[in-house]
Amino acid sequence: MESSETIITTKGSNAFKKQAFKDQITGLLFTLPAFLIIFIFGIFPIGYSVYMSLFNWQVTKGAFIGDKNYLLIFGSWTNLLVLLAGLGLFILGFYVWNRAFQTLSNGKRWAHILGALVLILGGVIFVTGWGLMYNTGNKDFLNSLIVTVYYALGTVPAEIIIGLVLAYILYQDIVGKQVFRMIYFLPYITPSISTAVVFQIIFSSRETSFANRLIGLVGMDPLKWRFEPKPVLNLLGLNVSGIAGGPSLALLTIIIYGIWSFVGYNTVIFLSGLGNIPKEIYEAAEIDGGSKWDRFWNITIPMISPVTFYLSLIGFIGTFKAFNHIYVMRTPSAQNTVVTTSLLVFDRFYKANQYGVATAQAIVLFLVILGLTLAQNKLMEDRVFYG
Amino acid sequence: MDNSSILPTHKKGKKKFYLDRFLGKAFLYLILIAGALVFIFPFFWMISNSLMTLGETITRQLLPKVPQWVNYKEAWDQANFSKYFVNSVLVTLGTLAGLLVTSILAGYAFGRIDFKGKNFLFGIFLATMMIPESVTLIPNYMLIRGTIIPLPGGTWINTYWALTIPFMANAFSIFLLRQFFAQIPKELWDAARIDGCDHLRFLIQVVMPISKAPIMTVLLFGFTASWNAFQWPLLVTTRDTWRPLMVGLYGFVQEAGPYTHWLMAGAVITIIPILLVYFVTQKQFTQGIATTGLKG
Repeated sequence: MESSETIITTKGSNAFKKQAFKDQITGLLFTLPAFLIIFIFGIFPIGYSVYMSLFNWQVTKGAFIGDKNYLLIFGSWTNLLVLLAGLGLFILGFYVWNRAFQTLSNGKRWAHILGALVLILGGVIFVTGWGLMYNTGNKDFLNSLIVTVYYALGTVPAEIIIGLVLAYILYQDIVGKQVFRMIYFLPYITPSISTAVVFQIIFSSRETSFANRLIGLVGMDPLKWRFEPKPVLNLLGLNVSGIAGGPSLALLTIIIYGIWSFVGYNTVIFLSGLGNIPKEIYEAAEIDGGSKWDRFWNITIPMISPVTFYLSLIGFIGTFKAFNHIYVMRTPSAQNTVVTTSLLVFDRFYKANQYGVATAQAIVLFLVILGLTLAQNKLMEDRVFYG
Repeated sequence: MDNSSILPTHKKGKKKFYLDRFLGKAFLYLILIAGALVFIFPFFWMISNSLMTLGETITRQLLPKVPQWVNYKEAWDQANFSKYFVNSVLVTLGTLAGLLVTSILAGYAFGRIDFKGKNFLFGIFLATMMIPESVTLIPNYMLIRGTIIPLPGGTWINTYWALTIPFMANAFSIFLLRQFFAQIPKELWDAARIDGCDHLRFLIQVVMPISKAPIMTVLLFGFTASWNAFQWPLLVTTRDTWRPLMVGLYGFVQEAGPYTHWLMAGAVITIIPILLVYFVTQKQFTQGIATTGLKG
């Protein structure tokens, strides 16, 4: 913040300089304790991880092996280049397609066709790159990325939608608003280990488990829930198999937990965001005769979009970091269908003691998160309405 | 909302109009209550199961016939919970004390003091929020083990310091307090400075007393983060000396396996302190979220 120089400057520049100098020292001193801890435990480890990933490091430092740990993941750098080239083309195609909406000239149709072509080409190259990588690289790691993406796509949009709906309802004249809000927030702050243990029991594979009795009410046969590595689609009768067939039932159970534990956070933040929308806008719209529904779509959704953006960002980053509840809820029989990348990295490190491999995987995960965050930033930039 | 009487469109009779509104409202309450039931059900299940006999947990009654309060005592004794409980309390208190000092000071500096490098530092702090623990976990473990730099006492594995110091600062708390501190009118500081007040005194005597809500928010989030921590304590505690409740509960899950009633009693024990703190800080906490504009 611009501090209050006005008073001091009248006393002469010497006093002003003295104050500025004091401010400089105080500012640095005040931030020092936080800086030390954040630097030592948050920033230095990133550099050290990069360093470790270049060695054959198993508990103790071994020989320098350069990019070997990374090659284990990708198979070869060519694979990665093909994948990234595909991704680049895909983004380019998207850009061309998007720009087409803005140009009103004749070029619109051509831009559309061109954009679509580049988009498809990019997609094909991307898939080829992925296939190459999958054949020669680390299948466990690549699978874990897919699982993580399933988990993110299964939780974040649902959390946002349910959170917004609940917040919007609570924002009306509701008796007991405080109580509802308090209940919704409860799962977010209670220890995930403790609540995940309850979910273990609710979704146990016994015929008498609560989940099985619930689906029994609508005439479904008991399911194995946390222990079921088969894709959900498979259980619905579609003939797909393996990780490519969508999330497994075991992962779906974890997704349900994820949604349950996080919706309350979104609700509370949305609620405070709704409170910041000026009432006059609603009143004006009401006089113009818009229905409640119109007002929701045309006022609330655009006005709340910065909050939505923030929550989706936090949500996505959160799913890529998620660990505790997945660690507790996973079962050996669900195999690798519930192993997200953060769990895989932990296993590599904690159980297999392959520090070098684990750090290389962690860094790739970090880069993926970084890329996704930037993409999301770019993508939502145009759609977010800032005051 | 109630200016319908001045609008000419509603002259068809008030009765239908009210019924519509009543049905609309009832529908909204229905959604809210259904939501609340879903959110609260696992807690109900936890408590009800914790009071059952082993037989009842297997046949999955909804409620125990006779509440078995003895389960709590058995769970407490069996899993060495009393030890873990004390550990968790001490670790959480220590972490919170450190966290409050670092984040109030840094939040104040970022919000109210002009100094060179401020934006750069703040940017770096915020960037750390994005970094997954997977990346920092392994070097941090080695730091604490004393393999990167020598530590006083050789290794910090199984020490109090390993569980507290790394969590004594985080970007989120600093950001939250900064947002609030920056809104305080600068006239207050001008007046204080004329009286010969320096930054530290101004912070303690003026800023902190009016910032109870955001400080409570930081406390609640800090408390839950520390109390609920699992991955890191699992790594750095190999003995019971400082093992916290969550790692203890996880171990109990592995051992107690089929003894659902003890497991649930254990889970309830771990949740109670969080609930207490939550209910106490509830008001300030929601206020804190609203006033700091926690929204990107």
